[in-house]
Amino acid sequence: MKEKLNQSPDPQVGALLRAARVSPALPPRFQQNVWRRIEDTESPAPPASWLDAFAALILRPRFAVMAAAVLLLAGISAGTLEGRQAARRDAQMNYLAAVVPHALR
Amino acid sequence: MNRSLVILLGALALGATIFAGAFYASQRATIACCAKPADDLDWLRTEFHLSDVAMAHIRKLQAGYLPQCAELCAKIAAKKGELETVLGTGTNLTTEAQTKLNEIAALRAQCQAQMLRHFIAVSQAMPPEQGERYLAEMKQLTLGNEELMEQSMSDHAGHEHGTH
Repeated sequence: MKEKLNQSPDPQVGALLRAARVSPALPPRFQQNVWRRIEDTESPAPPASWLDAFAALILRPRFAVMAAAVLLLAGISAGTLEGRQAARRDAQMNYLAAVVPHALR
Repeated sequence: MNRSLVILLGALALGATIFAGAFYASQRATIACCAKPADDLDWLRTEFHLSDVAMAHIRKLQAGYLPQCAELCAKIAAKKGELETVLGTGTNLTTEAQTKLNEIAALRAQCQAQMLRHFIAVSQAMPPEQGERYLAEMKQLTLGNEELMEQSMSDHAGHEHGTH
């Protein structure tokens, strides 16, 4: 029906019909508000406290793997260093036992 | 309990377990692979980076030193036996016992001097820098303990005199 009216053979009627179409005005900051609502739905709710924030960080797989790797490397390094020192002390004690007389110990 | 707190405590426990496990395993592995010296002089070779020639020389010195050391140790042990006999069950320190104590002290000093002479000879068989380091370490390890004991005794005595 509308199409038929638009395609009216009378150009004057057609122009009048086009002018009569009402396009409502957008509310203020319409576009900004739309984007804000999109962002709100995409991002998770902010943590309530630092403890929650930290717990959330711990649960991130990348952080957990990195922390485990760092702890593993630190443990291996410290253990190797300590083991070397213990081995050195043992060897030193063996030597001392061989050269220092019992009477002087 | 708060869920976040449980997560944090669990993570801490897991982290501590990972660190402790890695530390213990690597420490054991290092000790197992490095702490089994082939002989008593192995420490000298590794610590002072000695050549085979230097080690051979030190082995000769060691072989000459040990019987002399054992001889003095036997003399000291014999004197200690004599001292115990002289002391017996008496409650007084007799002149004879005092003489035995002096003889033991003299033998110990002789033994110590012999040991220091051996250390000096060994240090001379090493490159100069390593020799100095060896001698310093041996002095600290063998004489340091006595000095520490004397120091603690004099400190203790001084403290007691001060309080009387």
